Amino acid sequence: MIELKNIVKTYKRGAEIVYALKDINLKIEKGDFIAITGPSGSGKTTLLHIIGCLDKPSSGVMKFNDKDIGKMSEADLVKIRREKIGFIFQHFYLLPGLNVLENITLPLIFGRKTRSKEEIISLIESVGLKDRIYHRINQLSGGEMQRVAIARAIVSNPEILLADEPTGNLDTENSEKIFELLRLLNKKGLSVVMVTHNTELAKRTNKVITLRDGKIFY
Amino acid sequence: MIFLKLAFKNLLRHKIRSFLTVLGISASISVLFSIISFNKGFESSLQKELYRTGIHFMIVPSGCPHEVASLVLHGAVTPNFLNIEVFQKIKEFDEIEFIAPILITQIPNIEKEKIDLVYGIEMSNIKQIKPQWKIDGTIPFSDDSILLGYDVAEHYSIKKGDILTYENKRFTVSGIVQKTSSQDDAFVYMPLKALQDIIKKPNGATAIGVKVKDVDKLNTVIEEISLKIPGIQIVTMSQVVNSLANLAGSAKILSLSIALVAILISAIGVMNSILMAIFERTEEIGLMRAIGASKFDIFRIIIKETVLLTLTGGLIGLIMSLVGANIIEGFVRNFMPYIPSGKMIQFDPFLALICLFFSIFLGIFAGIFPAWRATKINPIKAIRG
Repeated sequence: MIELKNIVKTYKRGAEIVYALKDINLKIEKGDFIAITGPSGSGKTTLLHIIGCLDKPSSGVMKFNDKDIGKMSEADLVKIRREKIGFIFQHFYLLPGLNVLENITLPLIFGRKTRSKEEIISLIESVGLKDRIYHRINQLSGGEMQRVAIARAIVSNPEILLADEPTGNLDTENSEKIFELLRLLNKKGLSVVMVTHNTELAKRTNKVITLRDGKIFY
Repeated sequence: MIFLKLAFKNLLRHKIRSFLTVLGISASISVLFSIISFNKGFESSLQKELYRTGIHFMIVPSGCPHEVASLVLHGAVTPNFLNIEVFQKIKEFDEIEFIAPILITQIPNIEKEKIDLVYGIEMSNIKQIKPQWKIDGTIPFSDDSILLGYDVAEHYSIKKGDILTYENKRFTVSGIVQKTSSQDDAFVYMPLKALQDIIKKPNGATAIGVKVKDVDKLNTVIEEISLKIPGIQIVTMSQVVNSLANLAGSAKILSLSIALVAILISAIGVMNSILMAIFERTEEIGLMRAIGASKFDIFRIIIKETVLLTLTGGLIGLIMSLVGANIIEGFVRNFMPYIPSGKMIQFDPFLALICLFFSIFLGIFAGIFPAWRATKINPIKAIRG
């Protein structure tokens, strides 16, 4: 589904060139549940952003469903992000002006797509927010906010879910619940790539990739 | 619809900032609407009022004819008087249907220790010259009766039947002209003969209003009078209207310029306010881009916010100008050389609609730069903070 070949990502810091990723080779297949771990600054989030078509590599090839994203226009990348990829973040990034339902359906609006109300409600129920549909974001707990973010990420039926430290802001109990939710989604066929510092959770995925200084460390 | 709700909620996050921005737009749209309404009302009322007098032209002493004519119309004292012979000679023209000599001067009011502006006219001509007047009482029927303008009566607390004395001559107030909101309110209206006697100018007049029998022959009559009577100037009512409209037009251009500068400043205020909001919401915009919003989606959301601000401002501005019409009108009246009676600022739905469309245009104009900046937000940098 996703293939990364010899991916290098560099940044300029003044005159200095900083290597965020060095020669990354990785394949993500349908149904994978992958954890990316490593110390801070090892390139985990940069790798996730490249997998999520939010960023382009400085060199190397990344293919999404056999299409080279390096050759795609900005509009094509937006379309892939909208239709094929779901994102969740450590800080949730929900829009405070909208309620739970509106936050969840936002990707459908950007994608000019519709789903029946029953489907949406069923989705909300599946993430355990049945009683919170019309609540405002500031009325939710951290765990509930992350559930909203997960529902928003999967509302467009993506092929892959990218999670950047989804449990980083949650207590142990809520972390476990969120992880179980991700595992459930994975069991239903959704590919999941999760960046995490939590080695215990990482061990429970199908595959762990450890990054150090921008390189995959086996 | 959700974009509109999002835009609305975003504006509500900083209520005071949004309120102040809307206030700026409201004030400038209000001024714009009031000026255009006032000007429209002024031009139509001026034409109606001057043509309604039935006078086709005015004869005034030599000098600056337009100035004198407008002075006579709105009632100021001129130093020159028409010669008695002029009056007699004009009467001899067959084509003349009606002539109305007018004498305007100042007379001391000893009792009140003031100087009054007095408008002398043959009382039989009052209805012809001032057809729009409503009088509490009657038009004077003898040389010892007078009419008072509304402001004079108010100022002196005079009622119908009271006595006023000028140069030892007692005059009974036979009526008071209802408020016209024009210069007419400031005059004492005295029978022409009585005023001529008081200032010792028998048959003297400041101007003579003339109506011809056949309007088609107006130019011929004016030419004939100009040739046969030296030392006079003739001003047609069209010329007076044009002259006053030109003066009003200059005032309009000045005030419109000020309004447009105010609008420009408030548009910059909108731009600044939205730019600040965008900087504060960088993460949110980045998130929207990450989950599939196109640059155009972001552009639309920001433009909706600016249009919401300016449209709300426009609506409030219109309400403000309607509620405050009297205050604005009273303010503007102080600066105009001649103001017809009656209300100038009237609600014109078409003009209100234009103002609202202008508000929308202003919102789009003010929103283009912030919206463009918002589309340039890099989702990765935004999410990473």
